[in-house]
Amino acid sequence: MRPLKGNLTGAKRLQGDKLTEAEAIEQAKLGNEAAFKALYDLHKRRVYSLCLRMTGNTASAEDLTQEAFLQLFRKIGTFRGESAFSTWLHRMAVNVVLMQLRKKGLPVVPLDDATEGDEEGSIKKEPGAPDERLAGSIDRLRLQRAVDELPPGYRTIFVLHDVEGYEHNEIAELVGCSIGNSKSQLHKARIKLRELLRTGRAEKAGKR
Amino acid sequence: MNCLEFERVLPEFLEGGQTPEEHAHLASCPSCSNLLADLNSISSQAKLLIASEEPRPAVWDVLESRLREEGLIRSPEFIPAKTNNFWSRWRTAWLVPVAAALVMVAGLKLFHPFNAGDHEPIAKQAPAPAVVITPVSREDQVVLNSVATRIPAQRARYRADLEDANSFIRDAEQSIKDDPNDIYTQQMLINAYAQKQMLYDLAVDRGSGQ
Repeated sequence: MRPLKGNLTGAKRLQGDKLTEAEAIEQAKLGNEAAFKALYDLHKRRVYSLCLRMTGNTASAEDLTQEAFLQLFRKIGTFRGESAFSTWLHRMAVNVVLMQLRKKGLPVVPLDDATEGDEEGSIKKEPGAPDERLAGSIDRLRLQRAVDELPPGYRTIFVLHDVEGYEHNEIAELVGCSIGNSKSQLHKARIKLRELLRTGRAEKAGKR
Repeated sequence: MNCLEFERVLPEFLEGGQTPEEHAHLASCPSCSNLLADLNSISSQAKLLIASEEPRPAVWDVLESRLREEGLIRSPEFIPAKTNNFWSRWRTAWLVPVAAALVMVAGLKLFHPFNAGDHEPIAKQAPAPAVVITPVSREDQVVLNSVATRIPAQRARYRADLEDANSFIRDAEQSIKDDPNDIYTQQMLINAYAQKQMLYDLAVDRGSGQ
């Protein structure tokens, strides 16, 4: 008598059974559909959010999410567990997005200060008036909208560092810039966001 | 230090390179102090954006289609990992009754009292495998006694095969206790009992001289 395989679909089998990520990876290497779905469900929000934040576009984010997972599943047989699976997937997703930005001719790294002009990244102040604070009034939705309005180059650096938690040396390697440039551009991205958030507040106050 | 100078060093300040002069300026300048607080707030709030969006179900649908097109999806079935240990041990369990049957048939050929001239073994039997001494159930004992009476040379081998079958049953029962809803081990328990039944049947059939 040979050992029997399950006659339930993989999806049913996994529903009430907490399949670990390691088990799903091994099953995915065998081409198991339910395992692919389990891995996708586990990581889809992180990957999609990354793609959306970096492109500012829903359609692009969906395409890039599919592409990132497709590349992942093509290569899953080579995953040996030396690093965390999520790290491997995330790095792959970042590379997919950066490649797409480059293909479209969009700046992955912010341009030099000289070409962007002196105003970009500088702190605007009214003479004699102290800057009012934003602290306490930043909500996720407003910040999300402000990030979407950032120029692509600033957006990339800000998302990779402040949202996704990459270090400057990692960002430098990913986007092909210097560590100093990464730090400088991150600072300018934050300054720009502050302006966008303050502008949003001012418009809101004016409408009342 | 004035505000312009502070703004110039602000990126390094935020990265941790802070001097007493810079702190002194912050303490005396509300604008720069507010600026610093806002930038820190933006940075910390940014973490709220991580994994904050859910893709539409259609994203998976398209991905699944592409996985199928590329032949990456090969199996709809799932082999439960938690039964792997059970399977690895009892993968060939089905051989137990087959092996038992072969041995018993060979034993009968050599020792059957109705074959003329077969009072002595034609060939020596292989020594019986070492048997783990475990308590024998009443039913098993009855069968062993029957075998001992009719095919005495096979008793040790038969005892070993019964022990294997009982061990298989114990393992299956334990797996069922761990997960009563696991249909795979439910089937294996049925198989285990069926194998033991087969051993019983063999003992009865052969012992009756068929």
